[in-house]
Amino acid sequence: MASEQPATSQPSSSASSIMEVSESFDIKATYLKFLEDDKEMTMPVAAIETLVTLLGITQPSTSYELIKILENATQSLKKSVKNSISLSAGCDLFMRFVLRNIHKYGDWDSCKRHLVANGRLFVERAKTAREHIAENGLPFIRDDDVILVLSYSRTLHSLLLNASKKRIRFRVIVTESRPSNKGSLMAKVLREAGIPVSLVVDGMMGYVIDKVDKVFCGAEGVAESGGVINHIGTYQLAVLARNANKPLYVVAESHKFVRLFPLSPSDLPTEFPVQFSITEPEYELERSPRVDFTPHQYITALITDLGVLTPSGVSEELIKMWYD
Amino acid sequence: MSDLTLKTLTHHHKSDKDIFFQIDTFISQLKRRQITGSNDVGMATAHLLVRFVSAARWTHIDSLISDLRLLGKRLIAAQPREFACGNMVRRVLALIREEIHGNNENGIDNKGLSSSSPLITSMFNLLSTEDKSIETANNEKKTGRDLKPYIIEGIQELIEEIRNIEDSIAGMSVEMIHENEVLLTPSPNSKTVLEFLRRASQKRKFSVLVTESFPNETEIAHAFAKKLAKAGIETVIIPDSSVYAVMSRVGKVIVGARTVLANGGCISASGIALACEAAKNHKTPVLAVTGVYKLSPLYPFDVESLIEVGNTGKVVDFSDKDMVENVEVMNPTYDYVAPENIDIYVTNIGGYSPSFIYRLVLDHYSSEDNKL
Repeated sequence: MASEQPATSQPSSSASSIMEVSESFDIKATYLKFLEDDKEMTMPVAAIETLVTLLGITQPSTSYELIKILENATQSLKKSVKNSISLSAGCDLFMRFVLRNIHKYGDWDSCKRHLVANGRLFVERAKTAREHIAENGLPFIRDDDVILVLSYSRTLHSLLLNASKKRIRFRVIVTESRPSNKGSLMAKVLREAGIPVSLVVDGMMGYVIDKVDKVFCGAEGVAESGGVINHIGTYQLAVLARNANKPLYVVAESHKFVRLFPLSPSDLPTEFPVQFSITEPEYELERSPRVDFTPHQYITALITDLGVLTPSGVSEELIKMWYD
Repeated sequence: MSDLTLKTLTHHHKSDKDIFFQIDTFISQLKRRQITGSNDVGMATAHLLVRFVSAARWTHIDSLISDLRLLGKRLIAAQPREFACGNMVRRVLALIREEIHGNNENGIDNKGLSSSSPLITSMFNLLSTEDKSIETANNEKKTGRDLKPYIIEGIQELIEEIRNIEDSIAGMSVEMIHENEVLLTPSPNSKTVLEFLRRASQKRKFSVLVTESFPNETEIAHAFAKKLAKAGIETVIIPDSSVYAVMSRVGKVIVGARTVLANGGCISASGIALACEAAKNHKTPVLAVTGVYKLSPLYPFDVESLIEVGNTGKVVDFSDKDMVENVEVMNPTYDYVAPENIDIYVTNIGGYSPSFIYRLVLDHYSSEDNKL
């Protein structure tokens, strides 16, 4: 995966003191702990929280130091976590925010104070973003709809829950989504909310596609083209939906927009590329890619906290953030 | 007078009964379909808004905004499928909000982070500081009396925009139409299309196939063809059923739109979706000519609710007893054209691809007014 920041392989000697502090701070553990403690937290937000915590501990005294710390931390976090697409969206957003705003405060110190003090606020806002999406997406779900849903997504979960709370009567078909089996979780939480659900195996997508009115999925990351990086199986579902002329809606928070431009699923970093062998390898099915990339032409619309966007709207938001 | 009564509109002076009378007249005209079509409805709404704002007295700009929203709601309820009135009200609201926002920008520009230029708000929403308090405090100070001339001027500009729409779109026609091209238009009811072709005919020689548009616009189609012929354009009227058959010889399909929706699709007269579908099958480019005032911030969540069903007497004569008793007859008056079936929107501010329409919507409307 192409990382956005210029590679700073070794810290310069002037920054050695910084490195000491950040070495004593296990960035990966902190990141994973954030995700563990708050099940509602998404990966980009956890990454932002981790960086904020780091800033609170290291107390950099110059803005150069601050930037250096953040750069190094971002690098090591991206390297240490396997599925780094989503978290790199958070790191990049935070980095960009710091760089853009450091000069806006008269002194950079108050900038840092703001960032550290508002740690919890970011998490709250990320949750509000989800609520926004639940509102923006509401009119897409109508009475008597049959909705095909892939795997589990917190945003999609909150949207469907909101729709059911507003007394819209719809039914959901959830795909099992191997190998993570997150589909079973989705089916469970939706049934608990009183929504009629049918859980189907992944191979049944084609069997049910004619029976559904629309297809929904979440996203791990939204690429610059407007295509989405999501749990494995999204691509085939999208192609199927296009073939059957069913709309595919992606629900994603805007902090998942990431500056990547993959052209095919194989452009994504994976631990387990496709391999051939004549002997039976161990755990073959467990060792398969967990995410795939769905190109933008298959997506009808993205339901985000910024509103309902066409895929080309994503690049515009990213351009607004990075090049002006 | 239903919910927009003198009581609810306390901000208007009691002596301004005149304006309420005008609102009611307009609403009845909408209901009775005495005013129809985006152009006329848009124009009438804009004129009403000028009078409404001139008559309004407000101590706080928010009260004007809420009055306008209420007015918009009533107009939309009177004729839900005439999108132009909702669009006009929303445009004026966006204008007012922009005016307030602009004033605030100057006011608190040195307050720090959050007043960074309004463009960069979006993705940074997650991280930026909350400065709503400052904004509202600032709003309180602006009593908005001085805004009135700006608002009225803005609406006048809107009226000018609608008035000159044909002219500004037609200006682009020469670039779009080639010499000796065969064009097909299934929208004989569109003034914009007529002007577009007429203007092109001054510099180009081409022929136009006009669909008969049975049953709702057959007479209009004949009149339209006559006008084209008078302008020296080689014109052929074809039955609707032969649209697919002739498509292989057609260079471009030119359609008008009643409303352009936020996803890039549009609502237009019935028969147009068929022509666009046939065009797609033959990879023939489809040009939709439309004014920006027809742009609606709404999303077609439920296509069927957008389409009106008209008089079936036009399809089958009511005196035909055997038919009327035994056959179910339908006459939908509009069509929904999906964004994939349109190649370019030619508007008074330039040509745009359907996937860019959402951006135009964001530029012209403020999202808080999408739902009045």
